[in-house]
Amino acid sequence: MTAVDRTGPVIRLEGVTKVFDGSGHSTTAVHDVSFEARRGEMVLFLGPSGSGKTTLLTLIAGLAKPTSGRVALFGRGVDEYSASELQSLRADKIGFIFQTFLLIEALTARENIEIVLRFCGKRRAERARRTRTLLAELGIEYLADRFPRAMSQGEKQRVAIGRAIANEAELLIADEPTGSLETRQALGIIGLLHAQAKARSKTVIVASHDLRLKDYADRTLHLQDGEIR
Amino acid sequence: MYAIRTLRSQPLRLALTVGGIALCIVLMFFLLAVYRGVADGSVEYIRQNRADLWVLQETATNILRGSSILSADQIYAIARTPGVRTAAPVLFLLSTVRHGGQVGTVFLTGFDPDKGLGGPPQLSWGRSPRVDDEIVLDRSFALKFGFKPGGEVDLQGHPLKIVGISLGTNAFVIQYAFVTLRFARNLIGVPGLATCVLVNAEPGAGLGPIREEICDVLAGLNAYDQETFLANNVHEMRSGFLPLLYTVAAIGAIVLTAILSLLLSVNILERRKDFAILKTLGSPLPFLWGLVIKQAVLIASVSCAAALILFFPLVQVIERVSPEVTTRSTLGQIAGVIAAVLLMSLVSSLVAIRRLRRIYFLEAFS
Repeated sequence: MTAVDRTGPVIRLEGVTKVFDGSGHSTTAVHDVSFEARRGEMVLFLGPSGSGKTTLLTLIAGLAKPTSGRVALFGRGVDEYSASELQSLRADKIGFIFQTFLLIEALTARENIEIVLRFCGKRRAERARRTRTLLAELGIEYLADRFPRAMSQGEKQRVAIGRAIANEAELLIADEPTGSLETRQALGIIGLLHAQAKARSKTVIVASHDLRLKDYADRTLHLQDGEIR
Repeated sequence: MYAIRTLRSQPLRLALTVGGIALCIVLMFFLLAVYRGVADGSVEYIRQNRADLWVLQETATNILRGSSILSADQIYAIARTPGVRTAAPVLFLLSTVRHGGQVGTVFLTGFDPDKGLGGPPQLSWGRSPRVDDEIVLDRSFALKFGFKPGGEVDLQGHPLKIVGISLGTNAFVIQYAFVTLRFARNLIGVPGLATCVLVNAEPGAGLGPIREEICDVLAGLNAYDQETFLANNVHEMRSGFLPLLYTVAAIGAIVLTAILSLLLSVNILERRKDFAILKTLGSPLPFLWGLVIKQAVLIASVSCAAALILFFPLVQVIERVSPEVTTRSTLGQIAGVIAAVLLMSLVSSLVAIRRLRRIYFLEAFS
């Protein structure tokens, strides 16, 4: 288990810049971004495609290293974690919701959720119990043995949320979680994420271009050309 | 389940891979079975003729690939050595057997029927030759050329009756045939010669003194006890056959490993998004390695099962088409090949696992 600070901000970015070096030219995806997020807070990064939202999320999750600046997760600089500590952190404390849900096609809904519980070291019986509970809470028990190819977009997204919260993560990172959903489904999903922040004191970071989400966020940070405006 | 389901999602590719690997395994089973068959066929004659000593010209250490000629005087002197109860001269020649249009070369073994040594090790039909116009043929040789038990063959112009069919006398490249010593000597036209002498000692007589007497007193001879002589012949057979066997088996193993590595690598590349997601979700690396290793072991196991199903009927067909190919499979051989295949599947997965390092977290977000 990785030692974390439970009193300070969950995420703290200080002057973070990320530059991608290509052949002969470089692209600044994120420029001098500073912000912090606390427990129970839902922060929305709003910006058009190519504004650096996804890059910012990967920096926040410790999946990429900033070119300059500092990223701290749970009170500790990301560069102070070893590779295995970061892996444990992702397994135990961070939940991810990807743009197109990205469920594992070869696994059923139940298995998609169970697999993350395995990564955080839960025993088989506990995994089964927790998965059953989650499927019931999300109202998708009927999907338990269904493969993603046999699910609707909304159903997939609910399973993806189940997977993200299965490990009772303290930090939820969602990349365009409503991108391919109709309004009713989108609002249902964002309502679920909002509930995670407020009822369960999770920190929820959402990157989206979907203006419908603004009303649910505690803070909305507008991102354009890699900078917070 | 992930490992199994992703493999099953491409049934044709899986079937081709399993088929290719199964054929490599069949090849390895077959080579070992042929080796065992040749090994037995090459030395069974020596193993079954339990002589206390094998006496040859001192330059020859075996009968498979060595020249030895003993004169009548030497053979007589061996028989007169103190402690020798029986001295049975045996003459080996290469000769051709004909019947109708069929002609085959045999390792003709002339032995003295009265001495009880040097004859066929086992008979599947009939009896040993007693007189000069009788012959015993190896079973696979008789089958290959269609020589019938009880029939007649021509050996260098001499008609001989087939009175027996022998087993354990197929050395793959050539097969033994048995005639009387007198007949064999008549063929070469030099009386009294032999290739070697099989010696049995008097009860209670030590082999050491007899050997010393033969080697020291009778110049130019060497005497080997049964164990040493058998080992010499096994070594000779192996040195001629094993390099070929190892080369072909190694090629089979390399092809198997390459096929499996290729399939596993393609699977990883096709599922790289899955692996990127799993990495991002906090999967420990050993879990991802485990998925690849499971697939490798699974394919190897299914291939082994398919190879076992294919192998035995295939051997029957080959032995029917080419009777000189005598095979013998043991449980140990089969277990050894399966263990080697499982080991190679692990090597294949290690090759494929290297690709996991080049799958990045960011791929889950693209």
